[in-house]
Amino acid sequence: MSATDKHGYEGYRDPTKSVMKRFGVTVWSQVQAETTRGPFHGLVLPRSETSDADHLVLKLGSGYNVGLRADTITKLTKTGYKQAHYKIPEEEFPSDPSKPSVILLGTGGTIASRLDYRTGAVIPAFSPGELYGSVPELSEICNLQTEKLFGEFSENIGPTHYIALAKRIGEAIAGGADGIVIGHGTDTMHHTAAALSFMVQRPPVPVVMVGSQRSSDRPSSDAARNLIHATWAAGCGSIAEVMVCMFGPTSDRYNLLHRGTRVRKMHSSTRSTFRTLGDVPLAMLQDRELTPIHATWNKRRDDRDVDVHAVFDERVTILYYYPNMQPDLIDAVVDAGYKGIVIAGTGLGHVNRKVYPALERARNAGVSVFMTLQTLWGFVQMHVYETGREILEFGVVPLANMLPEVAYVKLGWALAMHPDDPGAVKDLMTTTLAGEMTEREPHDGYLVFQGGVPEIDELLGRIWS
Amino acid sequence: MSVALDANPRTDPPLDFPDREFGELSHQDYAELGFLCGLEVHQQLLTDRKLFCRCPAGIRSQQVDAEVLRHMRPTLSELGEYDGCALMEYKTRKEIIYQLARSSVCTYEMDDTPPFPIDEQAVQVAISIARLFGLDLVSELHVMRKQYLDGSIPTGFQRTAMIGGGGTIPFRASELGSDRMLRIRQLTLEEDSCREVSDVGHRITFRTDRLGMPLIETVTEPDLLTPLDAARGNRLLAAIARSSGKVRRGPGAARQDVNVSIAGSRRVEIKGVPSWRWIPRLTHNEAFRHLNLLRLRRELLARSVNAAHLAISAKGLPWECSDLVVEASSIVRRSSFGPIWDAISRGDTICAVKLPGFGGLLEHPTQPGVTFAHEIEERVRVIACPTTRPFMIGRADYGVDAATWRAVRSALRAGEGDAVVLLWGAPEDAATAAREVLLRAQDSLVGVPSETRQASAGGNTGFERILPGPERMYPDTDTPPLPIVDAWVDTIDVVERPWERADRYVAAGVPAAAAEELATSPWAELFDDLSPSAPSTARRLAFAIIKRGHGLRARLGAETASAAERLRPLVEATDAGRISPHWFEAAFYELLVDSGPAEHILDRWRPSSDDCQQQEMDVVRANVAKLSGKSADARLRWAMGQVLSTVTMDPLQLRDRLVRELALTEDGA
Ligand SMILES: [Zn+2]
Repeated sequence: MSATDKHGYEGYRDPTKSVMKRFGVTVWSQVQAETTRGPFHGLVLPRSETSDADHLVLKLGSGYNVGLRADTITKLTKTGYKQAHYKIPEEEFPSDPSKPSVILLGTGGTIASRLDYRTGAVIPAFSPGELYGSVPELSEICNLQTEKLFGEFSENIGPTHYIALAKRIGEAIAGGADGIVIGHGTDTMHHTAAALSFMVQRPPVPVVMVGSQRSSDRPSSDAARNLIHATWAAGCGSIAEVMVCMFGPTSDRYNLLHRGTRVRKMHSSTRSTFRTLGDVPLAMLQDRELTPIHATWNKRRDDRDVDVHAVFDERVTILYYYPNMQPDLIDAVVDAGYKGIVIAGTGLGHVNRKVYPALERARNAGVSVFMTLQTLWGFVQMHVYETGREILEFGVVPLANMLPEVAYVKLGWALAMHPDDPGAVKDLMTTTLAGEMTEREPHDGYLVFQGGVPEIDELLGRIWS
Repeated sequence: MSVALDANPRTDPPLDFPDREFGELSHQDYAELGFLCGLEVHQQLLTDRKLFCRCPAGIRSQQVDAEVLRHMRPTLSELGEYDGCALMEYKTRKEIIYQLARSSVCTYEMDDTPPFPIDEQAVQVAISIARLFGLDLVSELHVMRKQYLDGSIPTGFQRTAMIGGGGTIPFRASELGSDRMLRIRQLTLEEDSCREVSDVGHRITFRTDRLGMPLIETVTEPDLLTPLDAARGNRLLAAIARSSGKVRRGPGAARQDVNVSIAGSRRVEIKGVPSWRWIPRLTHNEAFRHLNLLRLRRELLARSVNAAHLAISAKGLPWECSDLVVEASSIVRRSSFGPIWDAISRGDTICAVKLPGFGGLLEHPTQPGVTFAHEIEERVRVIACPTTRPFMIGRADYGVDAATWRAVRSALRAGEGDAVVLLWGAPEDAATAAREVLLRAQDSLVGVPSETRQASAGGNTGFERILPGPERMYPDTDTPPLPIVDAWVDTIDVVERPWERADRYVAAGVPAAAAEELATSPWAELFDDLSPSAPSTARRLAFAIIKRGHGLRARLGAETASAAERLRPLVEATDAGRISPHWFEAAFYELLVDSGPAEHILDRWRPSSDDCQQQEMDVVRANVAKLSGKSADARLRWAMGQVLSTVTMDPLQLRDRLVRELALTEDGA
């Protein structure tokens, strides 16, 4: 298909495309359509590439879109042409020397956006001017500078992006930023948060990751509130760590600041999806007030000192154990050249006997193997049962209550920090650097309410009101 | 709906048309006013589940298991301008509370889970009703999002899809003639919104049980030219939807938005009218509200008032950036007026607004018992959300002492020709209120602002919000397009349309008016099931069904089949001439109230044997002689009553026989 051929038929294939050509109609044509199901008048819209090839999409005068099946169309008469131009008006972001300077780094998730009502296209708003137009409250908090690092959906963000982000954070700190906000898709936000926690150690200013669970083109979106809170936490907050700033409850009440190594996305779609596991969050944010929850955290400093170690060895994997796992799976990973394996084991950190030989072969091949928990809460305790003790014999290293994804990210980083030195990797893995393992689990560090139980329903009725 | 459709096609307001109460105008009068009305009829569908999730449909629940708090934030349109409606809602800065019960609501309704595939049962019902309206069906359903920032839907938009458009139905009930037609612009399938529980100050509370239920919205063109026609058109649309047999009944299952304009005005939408009975008075009063606002406009133009006189900047405190507003706390502090005292003691901000050129016009009438000052007050109440009542006065004699009022007017340098409004509330609310007073005053230069208004049972309307524009519609990226294939459309039963049915009944012998009524009644199916063959039986059956309609359901249950089984012997006997049509209704009634075997009951209405008849005739013959003092007519009636109280026979035959055998005659016969 030539470029000109595609132009004017965005998303259309045969048979619909032939019908459009036959009647001299392209996308953005205003048409009168005669069909065997009756006449329709509207604007031809581009068609989604993933939709079928059989329908022509019209936007009617009422604002509704409808699809007309190509084989029902008997005639199309072009009555006009009206191309949509995606453009966001920019207004200059006000500058105020008395306010802190915040840098917003974009990775591709849309934190703010505008909608093209004619087509329904969501246009990301990202430059300070664009953001000022959609979230003007930001200008009351800080002087904003924005920088689009990549344009990736959350699921495509990986080690190269961690490294680029960490380096840029280091530069921003050196450049005098009072805080850094990172816009990120929510699906893998906790992976990136963990990576940045290890790559950027002891930052003097807040590094705050933020996203949205409901896209910003809808009135009920959490995006603007999240962005406002994150920007405030970055510019004015006193906690200088790598953090995630997202909704606390599903209601528009307050946001939580989670430590980058203990946070996890726990629900596919709800606003209150991010949770600190095995511990309590760092702080609550409400009405531009930060209320610490955690007893210990790193305070904002005036210096510009920060340890940036932007490296990652991609030859790591995570194996989610299941009953009857076969040893050939581990053998295959070792044979493929992986240097590190994180196992998400059952219970206190167990796998079945069948895989023991594979664990032994992995150790002999110089592959570092670590144990975490698929229960997510609790500690790996391999001395309790014989199984655990046997597994330890094969050199599997328990990682206390480090979350499996955090262990995966840390292992990739540690292997790059100490290439070909399993001993040093083991030391690094078992040393807490950024709160990834805790000494103790507070009683309220594990909270998964059981719905339907009278006392919980009563509690929910009270706190959800 | 586009802007062009919103303006009444006639631009010459009949400003000198006399004020008239509802009921005093002919349809020619409404034609002179340029009265135009269109309907948007919402009807819940009878489905098992909600439209975009698997929650059960039709559960009404008072239980509150939890509450969720949200805000709605307007999203910007392409041109960087907020939709008028969107902007207004944001000014109100409402806290929105959703009360939810686990039995009727899941995380979808709370906007915490994306939509599930659209409920196919609902799509099928919508298609079958669209076909009853004769609409052109789309071949692929595209779910759209229609923005609602009032909080009535937690997502901030309603998911809605076009099913079809461009239909025309006969509108025989029109008072303008039985050849009228009613054009149907479109039919959409959409999810229902929340029920409002309370709206106090900056907090609005909704119950969510109804949220997400499938409903259809049927939109007519503005073809209804009188208030009465608007009501009749509404009944017709409701009847057509009901004739599908797949819609919900009962409170709240059907609601309508009524659009009204007159010559020189623009469309105003009266929202959520619960019954067609409200429509005539509401639309009449609304038409005259338009007329009164157009008269106000004429007066303002005559006084050379223009928008520049009323302008106020969008930013800053009104009393700091405009000569039209003063902060009046110190001026009114000695006032003895109770509400002002209360405001001072609460620490409210009190301000006064001058409306140049509006002298005496705050009392300009708009609706029965309502003045222009109320129009301003409603706007302030909805948009600034003051938490106390009252929050505004526009006249000294409302209760403020003359000295205070003079001081306020003098602070504003208000002259004879100017009006003054005094407002109070929390500082932010007072600022919004002062600005809103001036905005509403500016709107009066346009005449009739495009608004959505609430209906009251008394027939007046009140400001609800600014009418949203077409910009608020955009595609729902969460749902894929759904093809409506031919095979599917063909397998959906199309029920006979009510007017086609009425024609068939007329042909069967039912008088036209009864045929129309029966055709739209839920018992039309019963009539068809019984299918009387003789025209006289058909006529009697139709009357009996219409008269005993509600009794039928109570006595025989909702099942057509069981009712038909009970009544069939009567219809057959009447068709066969074994029972006189005259006794049809009485026998029909007895079949309902008496649970005995139908044959026994019908026996009572069969003509008595010739012997019996003769015996009774003899008795009457002996007694009638004693009535020599009475008129012939009275004697005939007495004799008929005597005979019929004992034996069953056709009254017409009896009369002939009495006249013949007893030489009884009617007077003058
Ligand atoms: Zn649900």
